[in-house]
Amino acid sequence: MTVLELDQVTLRFGGLTAVNNVSFRVEKGDIVAVIGPNGAGKTSLFNTITGIYPPTTGRVLINHAVVEQPATLQNKIQWTIIGVVTAIAVTLALNANAIWDAAINAHAITSPFPWGQAFNDACRVLTPSAWTIIPGLVGGFVGASGAWNAWRTARCSPDLVTRVGVARTFQNIRLFRELSARDNVLVGMEPKLHSRAWDGAFRLPPHFREQTEACAKADELLAFVNLGEVADVSAGSLPYGHQRRLEIARALASQPSLLLLDEPAAGMNPTESASLMLLIRKIRELGITVLLIEHDMKVVMGISDRIVVLHYGNKIAEGTPAEIRENPAVIEAYLGKEAG
Amino acid sequence: MSDHPTIKIIARFWPHALLAIVLVLPLFGDAIATKLTPIMVFAIVGLGLNVVAGFTGLLNLGAAAFMAIGAYTFAICTVPIYPFQIGFWPGLGVAIMVGAVAGTILALPAMRLRGDYLAIVTLGFGEIITDVLKNLDAITKGTQGLNPVAAPEIPFVTYSISAYKPTYYLYLALLLVAILLCHNMRKSRLGRQWIAVRDDELAARSMGISPARTKLIAFAIGSGLCAFGGAMFASLNGTSIEPSFYDFQQSVVILCIVIVGGMGNVKGVILGALIMVGFNSIILVNLTEWMTRNGWTGNNVLATPSNWKFMIFGLALILMMRLRPQGLIPAQDVEPVTQKPATAGATP
Repeated sequence: MTVLELDQVTLRFGGLTAVNNVSFRVEKGDIVAVIGPNGAGKTSLFNTITGIYPPTTGRVLINHAVVEQPATLQNKIQWTIIGVVTAIAVTLALNANAIWDAAINAHAITSPFPWGQAFNDACRVLTPSAWTIIPGLVGGFVGASGAWNAWRTARCSPDLVTRVGVARTFQNIRLFRELSARDNVLVGMEPKLHSRAWDGAFRLPPHFREQTEACAKADELLAFVNLGEVADVSAGSLPYGHQRRLEIARALASQPSLLLLDEPAAGMNPTESASLMLLIRKIRELGITVLLIEHDMKVVMGISDRIVVLHYGNKIAEGTPAEIRENPAVIEAYLGKEAG
Repeated sequence: MSDHPTIKIIARFWPHALLAIVLVLPLFGDAIATKLTPIMVFAIVGLGLNVVAGFTGLLNLGAAAFMAIGAYTFAICTVPIYPFQIGFWPGLGVAIMVGAVAGTILALPAMRLRGDYLAIVTLGFGEIITDVLKNLDAITKGTQGLNPVAAPEIPFVTYSISAYKPTYYLYLALLLVAILLCHNMRKSRLGRQWIAVRDDELAARSMGISPARTKLIAFAIGSGLCAFGGAMFASLNGTSIEPSFYDFQQSVVILCIVIVGGMGNVKGVILGALIMVGFNSIILVNLTEWMTRNGWTGNNVLATPSNWKFMIFGLALILMMRLRPQGLIPAQDVEPVTQKPATAGATP
């Protein structure tokens, strides 16, 4: 089964082509590595997959589908309602003084207050005129187009991609430094949490039910990456190696089907990267497909089932570690062309 | 914080001591209680701003505008010249709701902004609100303000309007509720989302959090709390005061309350309100009185300590930024194991 399929993906920043017409597939249960010299477009590729930069052309299919919010009828009704409400609000706001004078101040001494009469008088102020129609139209347009624009920009975004089962770590660690290790993992669990704002504010039963369960799971995950003892320590004050593993635990918390690791072994010594390889294998045993970027060839050759090689944004090779090791194009990209 | 045991005990137990003191203080006379009640109001406003600026990291320079919205909504709903007259408690409820809606409306176009840019937007919003309140004179009576607004009342309890203790304890109870709510939200899923968006928005998005939604909720709750404080303030004073009371200076004072205590810390906000407002309405006022009694004040503006207010606030802020930028009580609620910066090698 294909978990991830890139179909002729191109990503351009102005005149710079970061990823050029790259296609490959990642099958369920595989460990696939993306390698290439610095600046080859590996991280850009990850950012395209996770929805940070939508591809300029081509498609990213996750579990055979493009992640995108469809324009449902509900959306269209929402835009219309927002437009109408803005139109009414703008018209009322611009005529607030006149309406208030006619409806409230004119009847202030009458007791009991004539609500019906006041309403009629307010309506009389709002007869069609330049001061009611033009602001209404402008307000309606701004409201509806604003709602549409908000929907359009949020159409494909990292949070949607995460919610369909893709989790990632970052090349330069991006933990929530002020939160404890456990809270970091709990944030990673977001797609699986459902309690409402008021549940937490008023400490209602759903909050406790979810909190206990989530904390137990978080502690399990922390133990899985050998960070059980530092659950209550703030993430920013953990040593570097711990932060790397905490990022993996945080990514695993969303129970992804595909895990993207961006240079997980960066800055690690040989012992640490050996234990990292062990960890990645353990993750695969959980049934999670792994796609990783890595420069450490020992790690790449040791754990990958397949390797994709990028060079200046182009895919120059794909295959098993043995095939890649012998591939002349890859050797040339890494070592340069032999003289003569 | 120092490791000295005395300091540790103070750091651990000062909230309990403070609560005990404010509980018994009114028994020694109304004078001091009258001065403490506005501090509670400003503590609530500070808590509201803390949700936005402290928890979510969105610098808001228009907190006083939301206070104004609360005060004026409460006033319109309760003054005798208008037919609504819904009373104290429903008035508070409406004020909170209108404040929350106003916060959401402000946040909608500002959702994608951060830091300085958002600060400018909120600054402009604050200016607009005071101007709008001045110019909607058919509704707000312009610079006169609306009065008399409904006085605080406790359901099922009747007491004479001149008795001050019930109001004091009512406001203390409302403050405690606000503290509890803020604390609960911070410790719940919502609080984690806020901190996550503040610490690293991109990472938060990659964890399935929608930053836009999170910021909207923060603005709605924060503005609702500010409006709540504004309504309480109007009720306490018996008037909505006038629009220019809720100007930029007021917003800065509220921001100072949050900064001095420690951004993102509920206890810190209480301490900040106590220091900033207490200093202003107790120490300076008493000092001025005392100096006047001794005949030390003259025509010189500097001879009246009340005029020192903003100079001392400014000086206090400069010293804070230089000596303790994280606030008197830093927000970190977890113990760091090592003091070594863990960022070494973070950019391989």
